[in-house]
Amino acid sequence: MPRFETQQLESIRRDNILFKDISFSLDQGELLQIDGVNGSGKSTLLRICAGLTLPNSGAVLWDNTSIDSNRHHYLQNMTYVGHQNGVKDALSVHENIQVIHALSGTSDVLDCTSTLNQVGLSIDEDVLLGKLSAGQKRRVGLCRLVLNTSQLWLLDEPFTSLDIEGKALIERLIVSHCQQGGMVIFATHQAIEIEGADIRHIHLGKTNGN
Amino acid sequence: MATRFTPFICILKRDLIIACRNRYELINPLLFFIMVIVLFPLAMGTDQTMLRDITAGMIWVTALLASTLSLDAMFRTDFEDGSVEQLTLSNYPLTLLVGAKILAHWLVTGVPLILVSLLVGYILSLSYAALMALFITLLLGTPILSLIGAIAVALTIGLRGGMLLSLLILPLYMPVLIFSMLAVNNANDGLSISAECYFLAGLLVLAITLAPVATAASLRIRLS
Repeated sequence: MPRFETQQLESIRRDNILFKDISFSLDQGELLQIDGVNGSGKSTLLRICAGLTLPNSGAVLWDNTSIDSNRHHYLQNMTYVGHQNGVKDALSVHENIQVIHALSGTSDVLDCTSTLNQVGLSIDEDVLLGKLSAGQKRRVGLCRLVLNTSQLWLLDEPFTSLDIEGKALIERLIVSHCQQGGMVIFATHQAIEIEGADIRHIHLGKTNGN
Repeated sequence: MATRFTPFICILKRDLIIACRNRYELINPLLFFIMVIVLFPLAMGTDQTMLRDITAGMIWVTALLASTLSLDAMFRTDFEDGSVEQLTLSNYPLTLLVGAKILAHWLVTGVPLILVSLLVGYILSLSYAALMALFITLLLGTPILSLIGAIAVALTIGLRGGMLLSLLILPLYMPVLIFSMLAVNNANDGLSISAECYFLAGLLVLAITLAPVATAASLRIRLS
């Protein structure tokens, strides 16, 4: 049974303790929100979970082994969508999806139109991404979630620049992922209510750490 | 069919497409190269024999500068739009993906530079032997420039330091320059250039082996 766990994570930025003693674990089907004011370290915590940033102390475990020692196995099971979308303005929508698909490592045949439908985009696939709006770019970035078979999703501010319909769509993706035994950790300062899902919270901030 | 090299080819193709769509980034280093070459005869006079003596050297030095200018573009946009994060977190070795990016960079900056250098050498009346030596040393040398440059770019990415980048890599380019100029001078004197070429080839193999690993490590450091 895959299980995600953090042990007493601590992060120090410019001689200030950003957070410390962050310990939590996630089992299959669980949904966790990291909230806190701007600058409280939500993104940093998420990046540490993804293995992009190293914590000053503490450990991140997947399947009870440290993600550093078992990086390949962890990356197979984790998808991270950061602040930036990780898509190129100079490429067309179709080319961007191809790159995401190639890097995802799945052996499935790519069906670009159905992928775009799943994130609620019905646009010309040959249009350059730079010509799209911020919300549309975000949706192309979120295609990563559809194209991967990862169990753990790490989402940094997933609802940024999305409209109400887009937000609902991502919420549905998250819920169905959890129902299929996936795990989702997302960071946002907004109060989020998702129908049919029980959200656990980690609160970052000086007043009540954890 | 997903093989180990699918993402390599995908990233290579991606970077080539992007380079072709930003044509000015391709052409600017070449124009810079030609402009600097034109400055030399203006500054030093048009004495044919003197120019012939310094042509190969000035082509190589200018090529070094032009390739330094073009390096910055290798990772900048990828860093800004979050692509580097996704490359790091993909299921494939970052070393391989970085290798694809470096190869793409050499194809769009190194290869045109070699062709223009030959043209310029011909116009400035280099001898046939010297022209061939110039061609071979550029062919072996420019990939080394891209490979070594990639490490430095990965280290300085996101820092506003174009100057820092040049200071970091120009000393590392010196061996390439030394062996290349030895080869061209030998060719001018009718001597064999194989020793210098073997040295350059050895440097190239060393760079191909180590530079992608070092670049991948540098990128990880810059992200954290």
